[in-house]
Amino acid sequence: MQLEADTAGLRRRLIAASCALLSAATARSEETSVPEKLGRLLENWQIQSAVAYYHEDGRIQAIEPVVSAARETSDGGKIDLNFTFDSLSGSSPNGASPSRAAQTFASPSAKSFDAARHTYTVGPGRLPVDPNYSDARAAGGANWTFNLSRLTQATVGGKFSYEDDFYSATVNASIDHSFNDKNTTVSLGVSSENDFLQPIGGAPVPLSDYTLFEKGGHKSKRGEGLLLGLTQVMTRSWLTQANVSLDRFSGYLNDPYKIISVIDGTGNPVSYVYENRPDSRTRRSAYLENRVAWQRSSVALSLRYMTDTWGVRSDTAQVRLRWWNAARDQYLEPSVRWYRQSAADFYRPWIVNNEAQGPDASADSRLAAFHALTYGVKYGIKLNDRLGWFAREGTEFNLRLEYYQQTIQDGPAGPGALSGLNLYPGLKAILFQFGFSY
Amino acid sequence: MRSENGLLDAAKRRCDQPPDGQDAVGSAPVRIMRNLGLLCVFAGAFGLTAHGAEISDLGALHGRVVYLDFWASWCAPCRQSFPWMEGMKKQYEAKGLTIIAVNLDQERAEADAFLRRFHPGFEIKFDPQGLWAARFGVQGMPTSILIDRHGVARFTHIGFRPNDGSTYERQLEQLLAEP
Amino acid sequence: MIGCVIALSTVFCSACSSLGVKPWQRELLSRQDMRLDGNGLDDAIDDHVYFSKEASSGGRSFAGGGCGCN
Repeated sequence: MQLEADTAGLRRRLIAASCALLSAATARSEETSVPEKLGRLLENWQIQSAVAYYHEDGRIQAIEPVVSAARETSDGGKIDLNFTFDSLSGSSPNGASPSRAAQTFASPSAKSFDAARHTYTVGPGRLPVDPNYSDARAAGGANWTFNLSRLTQATVGGKFSYEDDFYSATVNASIDHSFNDKNTTVSLGVSSENDFLQPIGGAPVPLSDYTLFEKGGHKSKRGEGLLLGLTQVMTRSWLTQANVSLDRFSGYLNDPYKIISVIDGTGNPVSYVYENRPDSRTRRSAYLENRVAWQRSSVALSLRYMTDTWGVRSDTAQVRLRWWNAARDQYLEPSVRWYRQSAADFYRPWIVNNEAQGPDASADSRLAAFHALTYGVKYGIKLNDRLGWFAREGTEFNLRLEYYQQTIQDGPAGPGALSGLNLYPGLKAILFQFGFSY
Repeated sequence: MRSENGLLDAAKRRCDQPPDGQDAVGSAPVRIMRNLGLLCVFAGAFGLTAHGAEISDLGALHGRVVYLDFWASWCAPCRQSFPWMEGMKKQYEAKGLTIIAVNLDQERAEADAFLRRFHPGFEIKFDPQGLWAARFGVQGMPTSILIDRHGVARFTHIGFRPNDGSTYERQLEQLLAEP
Repeated sequence: MIGCVIALSTVFCSACSSLGVKPWQRELLSRQDMRLDGNGLDDAIDDHVYFSKEASSGGRSFAGGGCGCN
């Protein structure tokens, strides 16, 4: 009896022990590895990320990582978030014109010419640039799209941008309605932006003499925008979109760091003044895009015409061609963009000191008349079949290279000493980007 | 041995009577389907091809609840509905559910590549010309039509959103519960 | 200009009903390179560069096209 009981007890204990072992083994097989945990966390999210490196010849360079994440919501809507950070450094034109003699300028943070580390000298014939330019920016945005019905969607969202001298916050809302079997979509969007500027050294008194350092305080500006769009499926392989938009900005629209050379009749600089721009700007633009697809390639052509109350008119045309390989897991995408703009009414590369002066003047080359060309190429490779457990359908690695050149043509010839100098050197830049989507 | 035409006539007679428990007009999808004369189209000449063979034996489907789904490999919500349809098949096949997924890819190779990846257990039919999609009035991708045991289309759904699965499942349970 | 826009859209829209495809014929339109937001990050990065160097910006929107699902 005793022995039997003991055997039964032993058997019970053995069974208990083996059960414990079994459950431990099961638990171990259920224990997820780190990659699996990561995969599960990102399960419903589509991530796109890229790092862009931008380099201007002799000027600014910037590095800009960007990430965006999108997720479908349970009612078939979408949430998307994005975040970008950029860090700039290098030389930035300060608005003054080249001169036959060397010129010395003070950095924006300077309060006077005395402190040597806050000044910089530009050689004869060279375009005056501030070599200590540096800026860091963090920006992000979020949008939530939800269905009002099967054919109507609304989106609300906002974005912000933060630099040490500039903060911006924007809210936007839009509504899209489709009909004709979703072949036609009309959309209406509105946005409202508020910006707060705290220029380094303070906001200068417009058109004041630069050497007086009359600077102080902070400024603000705001903008409202309206966009009306129509998207139409033309055929199985052709899609068209047409938009018109209207924006209005008001408040402090000056660049607080830009100056203008004041020259005498012989072309020599006698002083420099801070720029001034109108305190409102209304801009209208029309945009047309067409995309056509074939079995292994597609082309996207877009055109934009813009006009504003500052007198700037611009035309933009961009073509992108995509070629897929036979397996459709790699592509090559060359692109070309052509851009032309006219000068703002108050664009003055310099001011002649005895001439009558309007209330606004700016020598910022971004407001000059120029044309620009961008040549780009992008290569992408889909990784779903190559990375096994990790990859999903949208997994892709891509590289992009672009060359951008701005040419200022027919700029007014400088009088006297300015003639013969290269007053409008333009801009050459390259962009190199690599990206990863998951 | 009933002829196909005989089946069609018998089905048409059944279809012309309103389903029990519903008013003469019926729910919106039923109304639409009836106006388009499609209730009987389904009941009668189910002429889709499955690997080249015509399906004309209605007897196999009559008495079962049919979930007729129109999908394509390029449609993301369609891809999301496949695991759900697999789940429905496992759970309700024994209770009388048949799932038929009609593929509308123009390129058969695309559909095959998709099926090689997902290995669905339910029946797949191919309609590359979209003839059946047109006759059933498909308005969006995916479209699913829930047909009761008498061959009457009772619910039509356009789209498959993440929280639609539970709604459709309740409707399937309702139809499966009916005699 | 608003009058022009409305007139154009009316003309466009009345012709719209004869244009387009069936819901199951959108395989090419659903492809990544045919979607209006298909170039996502590239457009955002480029727009930021052009906004900093030129006097124009914006114009694009992303609604419509695509697979038309749901």
